[in-house]
Amino acid sequence: MFLAEKASACPARSRRRAVFGVAAAILSTAAAWLPSAHAQQQPTITFGAALSLTGRVSTEGRQVKVGYDLYVEEINKRGGIKVGGKPHRVEIKYYDDQSDAATSVRLYEKLINEDGVKLLLGPYSSGITFAASAVTEKYQLPMVAAHAAASNVYARGFKHLFATLTPVDQYTANMIRMASQASPKAQRVALIHENALFPQAAIDAAERQAKAAGLEVVYKEAYPTGTKDFAAMIEAMKARNPDALIAGGYTGDMIVLARQTSEQKVPLKMIGFTLGPTLPGFVEALGPRAENILEPVQWTSDMPWKDEIFGWTAAEYASLCRERLGRECDYHPPQSTAALQVYQRAIERADSLDPKKVRDALAQTNIMTAYGPVRFNEMGQNIAKGMSVVQLQNGKPVVVFPVEGAKARFVYPMTAR
Amino acid sequence: MLTLQIVLSGVLLGGLYACMAISFSVIWGVTGLVNLAHGAMILIGAYFSWWLHVLTGIDPFLTIPLSAGLLFVIGYLLQRYLLERVIRASLIMTLVLTFGLNMVLVNILLQLFSADVRAVTMPYASAALEVGGLRLPWTRIAVFAVALGLTALLHLYMSRTRSGNAIRAVAQNPRAAATLGIDARRVRALAFGIGAGLAGAAGTLMAALYSFSPITGDSFTMKSFVIVLLGGLGSMVGTIVAAVVLGVCENLVSGLGAPGLRDAVSFLMLLAILLARPRGLFGGRHAGEARAR
Repeated sequence: MFLAEKASACPARSRRRAVFGVAAAILSTAAAWLPSAHAQQQPTITFGAALSLTGRVSTEGRQVKVGYDLYVEEINKRGGIKVGGKPHRVEIKYYDDQSDAATSVRLYEKLINEDGVKLLLGPYSSGITFAASAVTEKYQLPMVAAHAAASNVYARGFKHLFATLTPVDQYTANMIRMASQASPKAQRVALIHENALFPQAAIDAAERQAKAAGLEVVYKEAYPTGTKDFAAMIEAMKARNPDALIAGGYTGDMIVLARQTSEQKVPLKMIGFTLGPTLPGFVEALGPRAENILEPVQWTSDMPWKDEIFGWTAAEYASLCRERLGRECDYHPPQSTAALQVYQRAIERADSLDPKKVRDALAQTNIMTAYGPVRFNEMGQNIAKGMSVVQLQNGKPVVVFPVEGAKARFVYPMTAR
Repeated sequence: MLTLQIVLSGVLLGGLYACMAISFSVIWGVTGLVNLAHGAMILIGAYFSWWLHVLTGIDPFLTIPLSAGLLFVIGYLLQRYLLERVIRASLIMTLVLTFGLNMVLVNILLQLFSADVRAVTMPYASAALEVGGLRLPWTRIAVFAVALGLTALLHLYMSRTRSGNAIRAVAQNPRAAATLGIDARRVRALAFGIGAGLAGAAGTLMAALYSFSPITGDSFTMKSFVIVLLGGLGSMVGTIVAAVVLGVCENLVSGLGAPGLRDAVSFLMLLAILLARPRGLFGGRHAGEARAR
């Protein structure tokens, strides 16, 4: 009886619900129109970006968007960017490059020629930025990139490309500094890298930095991509009696390298890899043999930076970002947010949206963000922020350098393996 | 002393290479298939042992019978119901099919285990045999011993048992074997299963030494191919010798010369052997030519 009543009541209720639904839809459409009508009264600054929202690097690409969007939301909440005394709303015109450089080039052409965007933000990855920045350079429009660490991106004499992240030739600088400041000093350094663009650039720079710091490079070799066994290289390296090993390459290679240095009992005082220790699988694969290995990182929420525009500390940024992304943020979002803050300061200083004037002001950038300080060299690379160094301690990565942001003491020499 | 150490570690490396290459050679020699999914089968063995290790903490060496058994079943079924269909087709068809099979297996591994890099490090990984300044890690010695042990078992099976003899008969002349009442299809499935099982065991051994992800299998296929050609198809001794020679040469180049030339060495050796002695170091007339038609 009760059930039957309920069943008969249902159609009426659902009809009523449908009416409500339509009304709500109309209202919300109207509401959606309101701000944009409002926006038409307020002038707008439109940035353009093609991001890898689908495809091979979409995981990272979406994080880039989180960083860009975080900025847009906050700046609009605070009234926008002032140009000529008038506050401007900020908008970003997005496209999806499907993780493909050729598509990215087409989309930046479209942003510039069809959408009339004059201020461009970078895409994700060195390869895509390499291609896309050639477009903006051609049209002499500024691009502030956030995600291209490879040095060849900046070695083309481009005048309109800037990037917030620390370039690859600075990856090892702080580890070399740690080696030379440690006591007793890690005097004899061995360098190993995969024969690929990125690791080679990082380790070549390490050699220069080590020599400049008065350390001795006792072994330096490259291995071909796909190498499975390092036993022979490690024997040769061991014979030169190194104190420190700094290596760069694919994560799987670094796992084998770490394990085989332990198998052959190379008495190393420190090991640093440009990539690997913080990635999933590394600690699980090596167990206690991963202990005390170092990795340079662009950013962590432990860093002592405090944003000069929004007043966020790195930790506050991390919690905002976590809310938005639904999980812990790595360095991708803050590095993206910083790119827009760099733009904001340049626009304010130029007091103009003219791309030439903005470009000149960008070159003079000197700001502090939650991601760290930003100042560009003549190639457009950020030289103000070094890499922080994390060390695996009890299986967890903790910041040990620079000392101001350090959560733990640098364990040196590393525990015997 | 350094040179001796490097040579010895090359010999140990050669043991693992031999195990991989012989499994490739058995399949090629008996069924005539150049199995491009070889690397993927090695990885299935590696992942199976890794998975058992993560689940139960079992030592990878103890999982060898399990991974070999799993791959035997997979191999037997694949040959019986899939690859048998192209056994008389042109070489290019068999390559296309095993290439496709490789992609399917790699993608299954990616779905099951993601692209993260895996490795198994046992607590005893740093224990080593130390004699007069030489240092040979026990894990590597064990891998070498197991690999050669399995190869010896295979040799005994092939020469002493009835089904082993049937496999050899089919490899040498399938038509003559058939007239003697040997069911060539069943024998080929058996041989493929044995080859795959050995690949699975090699995968477990590999997992005890190296890191791996679903996309790292192709280099094993390549290496196995080179070794089989070097040693001569159908010659077990030849394959072992070639594997050890390759391991030692690679190590000498990486340790004393330029590591960058490591892969070049194996291909230069292959080129030289193909020019000077196309049948390989120990290649007989039968196995290769029975299938060359």
